[in-house]
Amino acid sequence: MNHGTRTGPQRASSDVLSELPGELMMWVLIASEILVFGAALMAFLAVRVSDPAGFAASQALLDQTAAAVNTLVLVTSGLCAAAAVRAREAGSRNVARRWLFVAGGLGIVFLVIKGFEYASKASLGIGIDTNPFFMFYFLITGFHALHVVAGVVLLAVVAWADSVRNMEAAVAFWHLVDLVWVLLFPIVYVLR
Amino acid sequence: MPTRELVHAWLALLLLSYGTVLIASNGTQGSAWMAGGVLVLAGLKARVILARYLGLSASRFWMRVFDLVIGIFLAAAYALYLFGSGR
Repeated sequence: MNHGTRTGPQRASSDVLSELPGELMMWVLIASEILVFGAALMAFLAVRVSDPAGFAASQALLDQTAAAVNTLVLVTSGLCAAAAVRAREAGSRNVARRWLFVAGGLGIVFLVIKGFEYASKASLGIGIDTNPFFMFYFLITGFHALHVVAGVVLLAVVAWADSVRNMEAAVAFWHLVDLVWVLLFPIVYVLR
Repeated sequence: MPTRELVHAWLALLLLSYGTVLIASNGTQGSAWMAGGVLVLAGLKARVILARYLGLSASRFWMRVFDLVIGIFLAAAYALYLFGSGR
């Protein structure tokens, strides 16, 4: 970034911003998404205060194994996405594309597992209006799953429009999806 | 191939995730220690993703900012969890 010839506090703040890797707006998005999901998870825990036994009973119906497997799927997908950027920076466009397809494929695996999870709840007659726990569960994990869908689409787009800048931005979004999941998983699935 | 640093980050994330599963399956449900352990591991996983996958380790200032934000979030989550568990 070129900040011109600034002095004093202006210069200092622009230097701090230039320390961020990649696009500034991507970091604004990452910070805002952390705050949005953070607020939702706080609301979840705040409502739990009024009915801890009900929340524990509902949480016992969740599939922790599927969620743990999905954690492994997402962090592995993150590795592949990061490898794609390194390959693109080294000028290996086809290698970068292959890593992106693996990363996106793992994203689809995540969604399939999530689909089975939702289907098993539906088969038990559980829906978003069952109780406050499941309202939060479907809203938070559903909103996250929508981010996964958006991420998979973005990875496919930058496999085609594969400038380094495009790829860095899409992959940063993919890591955000990863980051939100590792914070969401213990609070929704594990804490009882 | 991914760099050694990326592979190390991925292995760290796998180990931390395994740790979460171990604590969740062996810890007493509703235990304050179990909840604290799981949230600490979540914070460590978030830190690895930020520092290594997102490259934030290059900036000590921003790493500290994100550490602080995620640390406050996890501490507040833990406090709410304990409050909701009648402690």
